[in-house]
Amino acid sequence: MQLFIVKRIGQALIALFGVMTLVFFIQRLTGDPTYLLVPENATQADIEAMRRTLGLDQPLLVQYGRFLWDMTHFDLGRSFVQNVKVTTIIASRLPYTLQLAGGALIVALVIGLPVGLILALGRRFAVTRVLMGLVLAAQSMPTFWSGIMMIMVFGVWLGWLPPSGAGSLQHLIMPSIALGLLSMATYARIARSAVLDELSKDYIRSARARGVGTGRLVTHHLLRNSVIPVISVTALEISQLLAGAVIVETVFAWPGLGQLTVEAIVSRDFVVVQGVVLLGAFVTIAVNFAADVLYTVVDPRIRLGGSRP
Amino acid sequence: MTFRITMARAATALTLSLAAAVPALAVDFTVDLVNEPSSLDPHMQWNPDSYYVYRNIFDNLVTRDNDGKIVPQVAESWEQLSDTELQMTIREGITFHDGTPLTAKDVAFSVKRITDPELGSPQLGQFNSITDAVAKDDRTVVLTTASPYPVLLAQLVNLSIVPQHVVEEVGDEAFNEAPVGSGPYKFGSLRRGVEVILDVNPDYWGDKGPFEQVAFKAVPDASTRVANLRAGTADLVVSLDSDQVMQLQSASGVKVLSAPTERIGFMGLNTQRAPLDDPEMRKAVAMAIDREGIVAGILGGGEQVVDQMATPAHFGYIPDVAPIPYDPEAAREIVEAKGEAGQEPMVIKTAPVFDQRIVQALQQMLSEAGFNASIDMVDMATYLGDSRQEDRSKRPILGFGRWSCACQDVDGVIFPLLHSTSSWSRVDDPEIDALLEKARGTLDEDQRMDAYRQIQTRMEDQRYILPLYQAVALYGASDKLEWTPTANESLFLNRMTWSE
Repeated sequence: MQLFIVKRIGQALIALFGVMTLVFFIQRLTGDPTYLLVPENATQADIEAMRRTLGLDQPLLVQYGRFLWDMTHFDLGRSFVQNVKVTTIIASRLPYTLQLAGGALIVALVIGLPVGLILALGRRFAVTRVLMGLVLAAQSMPTFWSGIMMIMVFGVWLGWLPPSGAGSLQHLIMPSIALGLLSMATYARIARSAVLDELSKDYIRSARARGVGTGRLVTHHLLRNSVIPVISVTALEISQLLAGAVIVETVFAWPGLGQLTVEAIVSRDFVVVQGVVLLGAFVTIAVNFAADVLYTVVDPRIRLGGSRP
Repeated sequence: MTFRITMARAATALTLSLAAAVPALAVDFTVDLVNEPSSLDPHMQWNPDSYYVYRNIFDNLVTRDNDGKIVPQVAESWEQLSDTELQMTIREGITFHDGTPLTAKDVAFSVKRITDPELGSPQLGQFNSITDAVAKDDRTVVLTTASPYPVLLAQLVNLSIVPQHVVEEVGDEAFNEAPVGSGPYKFGSLRRGVEVILDVNPDYWGDKGPFEQVAFKAVPDASTRVANLRAGTADLVVSLDSDQVMQLQSASGVKVLSAPTERIGFMGLNTQRAPLDDPEMRKAVAMAIDREGIVAGILGGGEQVVDQMATPAHFGYIPDVAPIPYDPEAAREIVEAKGEAGQEPMVIKTAPVFDQRIVQALQQMLSEAGFNASIDMVDMATYLGDSRQEDRSKRPILGFGRWSCACQDVDGVIFPLLHSTSSWSRVDDPEIDALLEKARGTLDEDQRMDAYRQIQTRMEDQRYILPLYQAVALYGASDKLEWTPTANESLFLNRMTWSE
């Protein structure tokens, strides 16, 4: 287990270094942010001065060296546009992204898993076909449309919920549902196929033969054994949700990381993009590691590489 | 008797003190912007979402009234000592939000700060004609320019006065996070990405703001801004287009406010490159474009066709200019008569921020008139890089742009677009250069107007650039708000009133 962790940390550091190097160079390939920062009537001399202030007049390798040096000191730099530390900007957005990701995950799991189970167990009934259709519909609705519809119905006509913004639990409800519905369908389908898989196995038949009731069969045997694919999908979903949900955030004016990233890319605020990508890479690595550990908890037959049984 | 008078006096005093303690209208007000302000330091970022907010925290040296006339604000009066020296008298009794009086020293400091290349202000280009600022005493400041500069006052409309002692004590970074100004509203708090809260400044020297507290929120999606307004969670929303305006017109409790701006939509032509190095071809381009059709059929928000690179809100606007003819048949004849040369490809370079409906219409109109026109869409930074590259002849052959100098002076529009030394220009005409320099180099308004008239005559002959329309700013507001939006797209809270 220890060896596994050490190996994983080594791999993580190499991955982070690779990601940061790629982002550094790819962004600079896209061009120069200076023109976006100066007003229309700035002269060529003003533009040069701005470039010097931002350190963009230096050769690329010098910029890269400085960037690596700052990274080893945990200094992510300062936004070109806002003139504020990147860590401050990301720290202010992160809580909102966590809230939205949490809300969406709850919506997805609480609706998705039971629906998947029903789809699997009741696959012989016509009514489940209708349910499957509804799941597909929920997944296929574009968020920029369903989000605005929700705002019009619940925010404007009925007046039950604030149409947009952040700050209270009420604000969180609509964006969580809009975002959660997308992952809900994924969960329903994963849960359905995992349960179907298990249903055809011998131990289920044996349990049935022993006279175990359907309820107990599901809660004591089926669920635990079907949970592995759900954990894998959750790890993927969490990394995606934490990277931000651009459209949902834009429609509901939710101040998460997705919006920040898009704004930063559009204005070529390199330093902010680097910060967000670093965070994203870190989260993905951490969540996958957590999922690996969780497998061994759920299924003691699984051993992590390097440790002996 | 005496007793009664005493009682009456006491009652009056009580009523008065109550009236003073409880403001007549204690309301909170919410404005939906597009994005959060990228800066609250008025000497840094220059974009609408930033200045909508910080212009309420700070006073400017001078300002424009609702009719667009330059009127005193921090400077109470001014006088030209010589062609290059402007002496300004600072109003007495202005205090910053921390209670310190605003003096000439703060004004000189503010000018020095924004023109210091070390600060790296994106607004440097607006103020770098000022070479020195000296506080003669507490109430007198003298600004020196390198040469006579007629647009100085118009630029000073955008110069906010910051307190020297605060900036020097806390530094630029902390000042940006908790700005201290002298304006009608004080900085309250900032929730990054969500909102900026301003509180009314009860000791403001001028017209006080009508709202106790104002929240500026970032709402990037225009449909969501409209929904917020209709749901009552926003009282004023910015940046709408004509579709959203139609939605609001049928809703109750809300209204549309609009104002013609100083922003001009135009088509830029590269006169250094075939086929547009030929004046005949440029004339054909101008005749091929149905500008009325663009304004009425696509925009539909009250925009007006313009026949010069100016609006009535600009100094240098020339009344009764001959309209640019729309005659696609004549355009087609010219193009056909040119044969091969008329078929040189013309690429309209554009970026997503520009209204693509207009770009597509321009391309289609040109194609219908027989030009070989196509569209090339790139991201904004690439577009700006291409448009401002060193080699003028490589700048895009055609482009659609919207220009505002925020100074309401023609110099701020046509000098950067037409002068051969400008990084925007696609024109190289010594006659135009000389006239532009003449108009910029004198304080005599008649001489300036005369130069602009000559430029206009030359433009009608050469069609270096095609003016399209005067843009309109569209806002959605609660019915209870009374406010007159102005040409310079500013949003002064203390010029609004609210009726329950």
